[in-house]
Amino acid sequence: MLGSSENDMMNDFRWIMDVVQNVDVGLVLLDRNYDIQLWNSFMQNHSALSAEDVIGKNLFDNFTEIDQKWFLRKVESIYLLKNSAFTTWEQRPYLFRFDNYRPITGKAEFMYQNSTFIPIQNLNGEISSICLIIYDVTEQAVNNIELGEANNKLEVISQTDGLTGLLNRKTWEDHLNNEFERQQRYNEDCTLVIFDIDHFKKVNDNYGHPAGDEVIRKTADVTRQCIRKTDIAGRYGGEEYVILLPHTHVDSAKILAERIRKKIESLIVCYEDFSINYTVSLGLSGFDKSLASPTAWIDSADQALYQSKEGGRNQFHIFDHSAK
Amino acid sequence: MTNSIALSEDKRDCLQEISNVAMGQAGDHLARLLDSFVVLSIPHVAILTPTEIAMAVQTVDEHNVSGVCQGFIGGGIAGEAMLLFNDTSFIDLAKLMNFEEELNESAERELLIDATNILVGALLRGIAEQLDIEFSFGPPAILGQHQELDKLLASDNVRWEHALVIEVNYKIEGYDVQCDLLMVITESSLTRLYGKLDYLLD
Repeated sequence: MLGSSENDMMNDFRWIMDVVQNVDVGLVLLDRNYDIQLWNSFMQNHSALSAEDVIGKNLFDNFTEIDQKWFLRKVESIYLLKNSAFTTWEQRPYLFRFDNYRPITGKAEFMYQNSTFIPIQNLNGEISSICLIIYDVTEQAVNNIELGEANNKLEVISQTDGLTGLLNRKTWEDHLNNEFERQQRYNEDCTLVIFDIDHFKKVNDNYGHPAGDEVIRKTADVTRQCIRKTDIAGRYGGEEYVILLPHTHVDSAKILAERIRKKIESLIVCYEDFSINYTVSLGLSGFDKSLASPTAWIDSADQALYQSKEGGRNQFHIFDHSAK
Repeated sequence: MTNSIALSEDKRDCLQEISNVAMGQAGDHLARLLDSFVVLSIPHVAILTPTEIAMAVQTVDEHNVSGVCQGFIGGGIAGEAMLLFNDTSFIDLAKLMNFEEELNESAERELLIDATNILVGALLRGIAEQLDIEFSFGPPAILGQHQELDKLLASDNVRWEHALVIEVNYKIEGYDVQCDLLMVITESSLTRLYGKLDYLLD
């Protein structure tokens, strides 16, 4: 029969083991050779390996998902400094590859984990083993990832025009201001194109606003097809469009302007029973040192557009900076 | 500032001495782990306001500076260690930490976290030992990823007015690795901390 103090000790040991077994975090004890000494219920249930399966076995032999070199580097500093070490899901999504705790409704395919490595001292005060604590942080990780994605989407939405998918006016003007700033330093070729749909009011009056919207959308599609990746197109107003062409002399921009004009001229927009044929007028203005501000640059292109309108529409004009 | 949190001359000297001893030990451990000589500055101890701390860490938002913070708590004393890497080359940091894999963004984050854990752990362990307490550490979090520190400290929802700050500068000889460690101890911990210091001073 045990003495009462031994009995107490056995009782203490029992409840400590109960807690260790049942706590809902993973607990793993590793000796100096990285052989597993403790494998609690959390680890057993998520790995489908019982304590008998893994105790006394080497960690790296049984869990090949663990990068041995990385793990050793991490743990060796613990032996030397006697402090804890950490890894979070943002550095490594997991230490042990487990399935999501919510296999039916969970969004992640595996369990995201944070892990803490703590040194365990023996009676002589030397570190004899390392305890790994594995936390399931799937919920937090998924929320964080989704939040990041939502923010990216919002950023795109806040920059684009809903109807056409081109940049909205504010964002396009930001690009224009940046380009104007850059031109102050580098003074390279750069051309601004502004154009609008001829007699757009008639389209709306004759075919209705939904048809007008379709024309605006199709015009944006044509613009997208004609420009290069580095060109920046935006919807400036109702039926007004702008394109910034960096590293492009106004003579080359002419080719683009003519291409857009021709494509629109030959385009037939079908909306319900209507077939709509329309044209655009364009104005071009290459960057010139005499331009005092981004607004002045737009104004100059706008004046060229006005000439196109005056000249009978369905054409482009280039603003002549030397004629000022 | 109320009298109960004011830092007397004796207590400041005592904390400075404790930090000095802890840094000596930390330097020794780090030298063995990293196999290089660690140059440590004289620790600076002061009571600061959130804005003053924000000013101290403002450099984080500039280029080439990375910041990591790590919470600690124990014996009624709580705070955060903030480590600011100035003029630190990731290539050198990787060399120092024996990190041989490719240096992509997540590897850089891991390096920062590991380095923080080692540098903070080494110092705080020494301080805790002398105060006869043990600290628990939370996982280090990289600043600027999800939060900008100076904004956090400058915002209206800061619930404290003063904190005790111990500032130490680390430089690793032969490497482009240099960092500032701020150990920020909360106002509500100060009564306990001062109690510990009184005990040592008597």
